[in-house]
Amino acid sequence: MKKAPVTVLRLPRGPDPNSRGFDPNSPRFIALCPTSIPSSAGEGACIEEEQRSRSELRERFLRTLIKMSNKPVNFDMYEGVQVRAKFGASDIDVLNFQVSELQTPIGVQKEALLRCHDMISFSFDV
Amino acid sequence: MAMRQTPLTCSGHTRPVVDLAFSGITPYGYFLISACKDGKPMLRQGDTGDWIGTFLGHKGAVWGATLNKEATKAATAAADFSAKVWDAVTGEEVLTLAHKHIVKTVDFTQDSNSLLTAGNDKLLRIYDLNKPEAEPQEISGHTSAIKKALWCNNDQQILSAADDKTIRLWDKTSSEAVKTLTFDQAVSSMEYIPDGEILVITYGKTVAFYNAHSLDLIKTVDAPTSIHSASLHPDKDYFVAGGDDFKLYKYDYTTKEEMESYKGHFGPVHCVRFSPDGELYASGSEDGTLRLWQTAVGKTYGLWKCVLPEELASENSDAIYCPPEIKA
Repeated sequence: MKKAPVTVLRLPRGPDPNSRGFDPNSPRFIALCPTSIPSSAGEGACIEEEQRSRSELRERFLRTLIKMSNKPVNFDMYEGVQVRAKFGASDIDVLNFQVSELQTPIGVQKEALLRCHDMISFSFDV
Repeated sequence: MAMRQTPLTCSGHTRPVVDLAFSGITPYGYFLISACKDGKPMLRQGDTGDWIGTFLGHKGAVWGATLNKEATKAATAAADFSAKVWDAVTGEEVLTLAHKHIVKTVDFTQDSNSLLTAGNDKLLRIYDLNKPEAEPQEISGHTSAIKKALWCNNDQQILSAADDKTIRLWDKTSSEAVKTLTFDQAVSSMEYIPDGEILVITYGKTVAFYNAHSLDLIKTVDAPTSIHSASLHPDKDYFVAGGDDFKLYKYDYTTKEEMESYKGHFGPVHCVRFSPDGELYASGSEDGTLRLWQTAVGKTYGLWKCVLPEELASENSDAIYCPPEIKA
């Protein structure tokens, strides 16, 4: 006798291509992380001020990335590696930078992704 | 009427899934973490397989992954010579522990205060997560790469399996090997069941059960194929195993009889584990997917719904998904 397959309500949800997940609106997140801002002081009173400073710094960083678009940027990486390339864009988690005309000791790479974890600092002329 | 198993496929990984682990049961359910050669371990809701998030940061294949009991922390072991500790609620990387070679395995103590790591440098390392900058305690002895290391006996002892074909039981305080088991072939996987102190070991086509204290053999069961991983049900009535022939096997633990086998994966099965409530088991495969399988086929649980034949034919069946018949 042929067995009927067990029915399912739906299939498991897959990853969101645009984000790394960990939805801050999920009940677990809200319950366990009332503030997602790690406060160095650990005191409730300082959180607002720290939040303001963090927002300012974040905004400055994002504006820097915008300003960097299509400009030649020098990257100082680990192992004493220094490269120069035209900055294109960053991904949402600042894990990779898309660059063009990457100058390397073995030639110029037309298009490349640089891993942000590998960078120590980068600079460009405003 | 007997029902046919419908596994739930969790996609998202782009390379083989080599390790998986469940958390304990938390107020928010239980969770599942998968280690993948694509370097991006993922967290999923344990009973549905729904993706929650991806831990981004490793620069190489992730060989081992684990969650603490409360599913608030995750740890991963990777080919980039590091083990990382993560906040499993926010997905943020909390700690990177540099090693001198590929790290293969990670395990938290019950209180989540210590992390055990091991890998190709043949050393067991114990990190105090409250003092991560401090040098870890190192335990040496294995003569080849360590594949799996687990806390046992109330976190007072450590079990490790290595490519030197031995499993060793170590005392944490003295760093000494208390017992050694030697095999003819490399051990492919190891699972420790604290409740009952049972150790599940796989090698060749064999699934073996040992007493975790004495390392006395309880029983062995031979399977039709080379087995990569096995897991014992919390109630110790069944165990499941998977390996080279892509199938999942379910055995009666008491009688050692093979009860069922299931097709579904398109590649060898690398890891299989029962959920903490025993209602399902998850398998990870070379095909890049995780699959969730019901222990009691046909039971309403998670995304599986027990539907009577009359209901299927009625107008209320809109919300119910009937999987297409797949000829294997």
